[in-house]
Amino acid sequence: MSMAPQTAHPPLPAARAGATEPAAPITAEAEASARQARKKNRLVALAFLAPFLVAFLLFVVWPMLHGFYLSFTNQSLTGAGGNFIGGGNYAEAFSDPKVWGSIRNTVWFTIISTVPLVIIAMAMALLVNTGLPGQWLWRLSFFMPFLLASTVISQIWSWLLDPEIGLANEVLQTLGFEPVAWLQTPHLDLISITIATVWWTVGFNFLLYLAALQNIPEVQYEAAAVDGASRWRQIRSITIPQLMPVTGVVFVLQILASLKLFDQAYQMLGGVSSDTSRPIVQYIFEAGFVGYEFGYAAAISYVFFALIVVVGIVQMTIVNRRKGE
Amino acid sequence: MTTATSVADVTDIKRQAKPGERRFGPARIAAFSVLLLMALTWLFPFFWAVVTSFKTEPDAASGRISLIGEGGISMQAYEKVLSEGNIYIWAWNSLWTSLVITVITVAISALAAYAFSRLHFRGRTTLFFAVIASIIVPPQVLIIPLYYEMLAFNLVDTPWGLILPQIVMAPIVLILKKFFDAVPIELEDAARVDGAGRLRVFLSVVLPLSRPILGAVSIFVFIQAWNNFLWPFIVLNDTLLMTLPVGLQTVMSAYGVEYAQVMAQAVLAALPLILVFLFFQRQIVQGVATTGFGGQ
Amino acid sequence: MITRRQLLGGVGALAGAGALAGCSPTGAPPGADTLQFWHLLSGGDGVTMQSLLDRINESQDDYFVRPTVLEWGTPYYTKLAMAGSGGRAPEAAIMHSSRVPGYVPGGLLDPWDTGRLAELGVSRDTFTGPMWNNSLVGDQLYSVPLDAHPFMMFSNREVLRQADVLEDGGFPAVSTPQDFVDVLREITAAAPEHGLSYGFIGDGAQMWRLFYTLYAQHGAEMSFPQGGSAQIDDEAAVESLRLMSQLVDGEIASSQGTIDAGIAEFSAGSSGLLFSGVWELPPMQDAGIDVNIEMIPPVFGQHAVYADSHAFVLPHQQDPDPEKREDTYAFVAELLKNSFDWAGAGHIPAYVPITEDPQYDELQPQANYAGAADHIVYDPKSWFTGSGANFQADFGQVVQDSIRGGDGFQEAVDGLRSMVDAILAEPNPVDPEGTWNP
Repeated sequence: MSMAPQTAHPPLPAARAGATEPAAPITAEAEASARQARKKNRLVALAFLAPFLVAFLLFVVWPMLHGFYLSFTNQSLTGAGGNFIGGGNYAEAFSDPKVWGSIRNTVWFTIISTVPLVIIAMAMALLVNTGLPGQWLWRLSFFMPFLLASTVISQIWSWLLDPEIGLANEVLQTLGFEPVAWLQTPHLDLISITIATVWWTVGFNFLLYLAALQNIPEVQYEAAAVDGASRWRQIRSITIPQLMPVTGVVFVLQILASLKLFDQAYQMLGGVSSDTSRPIVQYIFEAGFVGYEFGYAAAISYVFFALIVVVGIVQMTIVNRRKGE
Repeated sequence: MTTATSVADVTDIKRQAKPGERRFGPARIAAFSVLLLMALTWLFPFFWAVVTSFKTEPDAASGRISLIGEGGISMQAYEKVLSEGNIYIWAWNSLWTSLVITVITVAISALAAYAFSRLHFRGRTTLFFAVIASIIVPPQVLIIPLYYEMLAFNLVDTPWGLILPQIVMAPIVLILKKFFDAVPIELEDAARVDGAGRLRVFLSVVLPLSRPILGAVSIFVFIQAWNNFLWPFIVLNDTLLMTLPVGLQTVMSAYGVEYAQVMAQAVLAALPLILVFLFFQRQIVQGVATTGFGGQ
Repeated sequence: MITRRQLLGGVGALAGAGALAGCSPTGAPPGADTLQFWHLLSGGDGVTMQSLLDRINESQDDYFVRPTVLEWGTPYYTKLAMAGSGGRAPEAAIMHSSRVPGYVPGGLLDPWDTGRLAELGVSRDTFTGPMWNNSLVGDQLYSVPLDAHPFMMFSNREVLRQADVLEDGGFPAVSTPQDFVDVLREITAAAPEHGLSYGFIGDGAQMWRLFYTLYAQHGAEMSFPQGGSAQIDDEAAVESLRLMSQLVDGEIASSQGTIDAGIAEFSAGSSGLLFSGVWELPPMQDAGIDVNIEMIPPVFGQHAVYADSHAFVLPHQQDPDPEKREDTYAFVAELLKNSFDWAGAGHIPAYVPITEDPQYDELQPQANYAGAADHIVYDPKSWFTGSGANFQADFGQVVQDSIRGGDGFQEAVDGLRSMVDAILAEPNPVDPEGTWNP
């Protein structure tokens, strides 16, 4: 199946402009009718755009602006408060060790999850791309977990890692090791969550790599083979360099995804938050819905947003510099 | 969010052995073994969940490693979960709300994408840029003001409070616009010469050409809606309105944690998506590869 | 290796089996109102509650109670508050009484109509004074207690008999801290391990329960006025901490005891006494201990028992259905009148006619301590105290060193005061402007 239309030639902008606004001799009459045509065009465009734009304004733009306003108020979940208090929430956030701790946890999780999520995905794709039999099985095994709801994967992993009767500890004990409280030990809990996350989401990166591998022209390998390059040599000098652009993309998507950690951490730790595992999104949730402080939670949301934007800008700068070279 | 717009079909890898490579050399056998090991590792947690779900509760709680417990293969856990009834309600809620979200999202995104691709109006570039820029805004940033807004609209704890904030997906607009950009304008012009209006052209010429891409994005919107946790978890308190992921997480058993039942629930909740995957494997795999849009 | 087709077949068969096994999700009789009821009881309590609900559902056709169990602690209280703020909350829910004052100012709960309750036989006269008063916020009734689960002294009569201190089947009467410690030493001498099992390390709730019991025995109270300063009786607080540290000297009770270790020690018969909540009664009976439960002796002058209650509340609904409200009142009254079985789990039923029933005297050892309900003290009322809230954990961090170290009691009390004052200086998050008036 192909996603592209039958003939994939993007039309030239000039040709498009000419098509919608046919050129006419410049007369007053023609100008008037052109004006009318433009007006009509605007109305038609508006009609096409209206449903999306209304939703966009209501559920993205307005909350975005209103959230920013809320971050300067003492709004409560219960509807009380709501008075302007200046930058008090931000001052509190910057001196709140839980804010810094949750940023630290989030960044740490992003680092320890992104690296294996990129490397393992690449290894899987390289292996599958050799054309070994059982293609549907490989795709099913690696990608299927990605399609499952976070709750389902959290329940499965909480069971595997149960400190008393989970399989992981039963195996350890059978082998003569001490059992480990995977999700109840500070610091280790975040690593356990990382393991579950890698299992859950690596399939997505795997597919991106697989697509990129398919795009490497066969002729390059053939030429290399004619030159007598070994298979391993071909991978090193053709495959890996050609995978660099997609690796950049995978890194960017993965970092942005990992920074948003919430579901599996909240679920696998049973909604209990500890200073060594609480991600920042969970702190937004806790400040707003457990502590009822909506204004403060809104302020933390914007601290989180700033973090995302900064990471985005840094990544774009790096990607652009690479392109420039 | 879009990455490769390639047309390579990753679902169709049946390339011959590379030149200079033997079909069954030791390297290939090694590669196959590694791959098999990885695949089994990845399948294992799910396998173990299924094994547990067919045990009796005492067998599951005993912690002994076994494929079949002393009580034999038992349907007890499934019987309990199914007779308790919540899971039907939640599955139904997940199904119909996800379908509604998919239909609305794809419809309004396609209309908007067509306008951005084909129609000329002042402010088009700016508007399009604003929509694309919103992709960087994580939905998690909006939960507080959105909840507040839903309170104001009196939509907390209602299906529409669940649905409406999920219908804006800027990446879908971007993907569809790129697709429409590549549709030859001549096809539309022919129809327009015949006097067809924009909407007619869109419905009768553009949409039929777009069936594959619309199918692909629909699957993703559906999966995303089906699996979404944070927003439904926040906006729904009534257990009769909850979706599967939220219900499973929130509602406990009065008898304490019973793992065979929890695993039976997990398996049942996973089944619909496994079926979707088995039936639409090509579309899903190809969709991820070409759009880079994942549905999480 | 199975093929994809086989897998599909198997999956299809399973899905079909699921559809067949389905039956009606609720057993509601036609025409009955369904009442949504949230609670956080699981394990033994959950089973007892379910059987009470089943009995009520079967006994009439007007309404059907549909329970939902949510995870104990923060997740439960978070969801309950959100449901109240959304205005489409369940018809009824169970809360710890100590958490109610934190919910009321935000309008998260609706008050009970005492007139309507009285018509159903539930009134001031059917509860003990401390329980009824604790259910009021201002002069409105916001919760209807189902039980009290006090922090008590369990004794192993076997060990007390060996120590030759058993009086009337229980602990001997003592009236000063010194007498109490002396008896404890005698028990310690006779017990296989410690005289007393008391887990407290790293467990603020356990420290607070004993501390507040002893503090209240002085006749002292604590109050935490919003925006003001904590009112604490320093002398009573210091003396209470001093006695606690005398108990955990490593001989009478372990100086390293955790709650789990304490329970394990007592249930193994290795100690004579256990300080714990009454909910530990069923496991002790299962362990075959000849167990009695009584109040911690009034060594500072007055009887006082730290407790919390499970209580019925009406989470705020924007426009409550009058019929369902009516049914909710009937349901709560009915459950209270049927709460005899609730005592099986160790709790003291709050509805006085239950404990006054002659039948209750046969319930041992529950009947021995039903009188504790007259001497209950709850957490100081504020938005940050109560079961499962952070206050108790924070208290533990402030006082643990002094209890273990045997000095620095006044400093610990000062630390407690400044900790509470810092919280009181912050606005109440459900009422940041302080506009709410009882």
